[in-house]
Amino acid sequence: MSDFLVELGKNPRARSLVQSLGLPIPLPQALRRDRGPWRERPLADARVAIGAAEGAQLTAVLAEVLGAAGANSYLALPASLASAFKAPGETFGRPSRPLEALAEKDRADALVFDATGVKDTTGLRALYDFFHPLVTRLGRSGRVVVLTRTSEGASPEAAAAQSALEGFVRSAAKEIGRVGATANLVIVSKGAETRLAPVLRFVLSSRSAFVSGQPITVTARARAIEEPPTVRAFEKKIALVTGAARGIGEATARALAQEGAHVVCLDRPADDGPTSQLARSIDGAALGADMGDADAPAKIADFLRSLGGVDVVVHNAGITRDKTLARMKPEVWDQVLDINLGAVIRTTAAIEPVLRDNARIVCLSSIAGIAGNMGQTNYAASKAGIVGFVRAKAEELAGRGITVNAVAPGFIETRMTAAIPVAIREVARRLSALGQGGQPEDVAQAIVFLASPGAHGITGRTLRVCGGAFVGA
Amino acid sequence: MQNKNGRRAVIVGGMRTPFVKAFSDFTKLDTIALGVAAVAGLLKKTGLRHRDVESIVWGGVILPPTQPNIAREIALDLRLDPGCEGMTVTRACASGLQAITVAAAEIERGNVDVVIAGGSDSTSNATIALPPKVVHALAPLALGKPSPADYLGVLSQLTPISEILPRQPKIAERTTGEVMGESAERMAKRNEITREAQDEFAVRSHHRAAAAIASGRFDDEIVPVQAPDGKWVHADGLVRADTSVEKLAKLRPAFAKDGTLTAGNSSALTDGAAAVLIMSEEKARALGLKPLATLSSWSYVGVDPADQLLMGPALAMPKALDRAGLKLADIDLVDMHEAFAAQVLSVLKMLGSSAFARARLGRDQAVGEIDPARLNVYGGSLALGHPFGATGARMVTTMANELARTGKRTALLGICAAGGLGAGAVLQRVE
Repeated sequence: MSDFLVELGKNPRARSLVQSLGLPIPLPQALRRDRGPWRERPLADARVAIGAAEGAQLTAVLAEVLGAAGANSYLALPASLASAFKAPGETFGRPSRPLEALAEKDRADALVFDATGVKDTTGLRALYDFFHPLVTRLGRSGRVVVLTRTSEGASPEAAAAQSALEGFVRSAAKEIGRVGATANLVIVSKGAETRLAPVLRFVLSSRSAFVSGQPITVTARARAIEEPPTVRAFEKKIALVTGAARGIGEATARALAQEGAHVVCLDRPADDGPTSQLARSIDGAALGADMGDADAPAKIADFLRSLGGVDVVVHNAGITRDKTLARMKPEVWDQVLDINLGAVIRTTAAIEPVLRDNARIVCLSSIAGIAGNMGQTNYAASKAGIVGFVRAKAEELAGRGITVNAVAPGFIETRMTAAIPVAIREVARRLSALGQGGQPEDVAQAIVFLASPGAHGITGRTLRVCGGAFVGA
Repeated sequence: MQNKNGRRAVIVGGMRTPFVKAFSDFTKLDTIALGVAAVAGLLKKTGLRHRDVESIVWGGVILPPTQPNIAREIALDLRLDPGCEGMTVTRACASGLQAITVAAAEIERGNVDVVIAGGSDSTSNATIALPPKVVHALAPLALGKPSPADYLGVLSQLTPISEILPRQPKIAERTTGEVMGESAERMAKRNEITREAQDEFAVRSHHRAAAAIASGRFDDEIVPVQAPDGKWVHADGLVRADTSVEKLAKLRPAFAKDGTLTAGNSSALTDGAAAVLIMSEEKARALGLKPLATLSSWSYVGVDPADQLLMGPALAMPKALDRAGLKLADIDLVDMHEAFAAQVLSVLKMLGSSAFARARLGRDQAVGEIDPARLNVYGGSLALGHPFGATGARMVTTMANELARTGKRTALLGICAAGGLGAGAVLQRVE
């Protein structure tokens, strides 16, 4: 599905014409994406400006991650914090430089601020001081990342300051979205510092193209993994993707296969054609099952058992049957709740015995379930139900190193959204901070990240992939 | 170090042609002719009978497309015994060392006793290839009996003209498109190697090479070569005894506008060949030849060419040391191929870095600092030149002779190569 305004905006002449004439046409920035396999150095040669509030605790982790990922660091840090960058800079041939060394003509690819030292309202001023002069120097598809701590046991003042960061990041996301840039908050709980690296590699890279304006919490809840791989992270792993025939499911299956997974592509028997074709092209397996059938969970579990277990489960299959509440027939309510929520719970229970240790479960929620949507009481209920399901299921499975998360797509260019009347579709696209809809690949990238061994710090959470469209606190 | 079956390969001698700048005295000698000159010189020096040579293993980078197995061509041109078989190996700038380690492995396995290994390259005779588009278009004319319509068809395919012109050959990485000098330029920047440090290093290389030549140190390593025009070439052509940091400082950057790499601190395109005689120790003693040194270990590694293309030796040299059961402190001499001063200095910096050791080698201690007095004691590729395939054999020859001459015990070799490859080897004197 092509977006005319994004295509038009790719033409520099059209872009300058629209701007010089002052036409009231939004020209969203085409997003930088990385569709190839994961890279050892996703930030190769990127210019990253780094700031921190006094007492910052994560600069050493940052230094290591940025060096290993190939970034050049420009520091707005006191000498006591900057020293952490020396050894990684030498090791990876990425010596850090003071922020002033960033040439006037050069844009920053990312602005990272370690706010773990912020203790009160006045401490927030450091945030302003860092971003105020730099925000206009952020390049296209740039990244803003703010790091903070979880507020457990924090004083009310400190909790207020930490909470304030969320509002800051969401608003910054809205402001920088027009250059295709994103802003996110990464919340790191005590003891989860060693699990931060893979999260930073994701949010700073172009794989998080449509993830913006949201907090990502990293905890030590699930059992840890020793040195998770940064490339080919799914070798020898078996993945199940439901609803794989097209759209987000297909993109996810392809992305997982690209990283080395053996993917079981599941869809309704009626969609056997595209499902089998996909399975053949990614050297995976096809499985026909209707998630509404009572025997589907057992059938899936049997199939996975025959493969020796499963490492990744992506519950993507879902349906919409939109009607306003007053006009909604009971069977339509039942059908949507059953397939989008009931089947997920039933299937998860059935496959629990064949889940390998350190497995990853990713469910599909929706922005509709978080923000609510006209005519979707059934759909929104089912998708909000997912949020609760992953939160509770994550607790149950944490001891085995298994994580359970959800992604909540916003407006994504799929067959489902292509069916929306043109005027509404056009409005929906422009609602996001990035001024455009996302691609199925954007959701797939977020799913693959949550499904990767390196995402051991994230469990029980719902990651929005909405381009910063979500309105509310 | 002895093999499991008790066999040990030893280096008995080495010989090379003078190394000269590409498109100068050796322009009319192709890589086979240069190889013939080096091997002939080696045979003469060691007094070996032709029939004793069982095999030639040869390294080369720019191989003649229609006769890529130059090893066999050298044997045939020299009228060696027809039973002397030949193979040609290629591992970019480590090809010469590769040939030698292949030979050593073959000997230690017990397959052969006497091998001549080495390498050569003639940058002057690099073939300028036609683009595939032209080759494919011309195929109907080359195969079968073409009709006039075929000729017309070919003509119609050969537009636009820009797509069918032969491309200027350049040593660019296939995956990144970067010329090697550009990669080295980035390494200089990333490892904070200054222009001054590079120029100083280059000057030292020239001065040491010049001193070696003046003292006659290379006399039994170099065989004079007569070019087809009758001119005799006796000595290396690129060494400049009179160069200085001041002179090099005047040169313009060669690979980037604000860069630090110049023609003065980068190795030049060179023509030349080098050959080494390797035998089983038993055979050498039976023939009454004195073994000079043995290869205790070697190692080849790869790094991501898109990151720091020429950093390989920083991994390969420690690995070779480990395999030989030695530490850097046990090493008397270090010889590193000097592709660029910036590359050598970057590798030296990483060998001296404990942060690098922790992250890349999985050990707490840095490999160690290398004393300039022990490093490249007779200069290196910056001064002598770098015929790609020959460099490894030149280094082994000079170091084997040096160990035998001085009574020192050990030498560590390091070579960087295109594709992100690195090589390391440890030579030990044989009593």
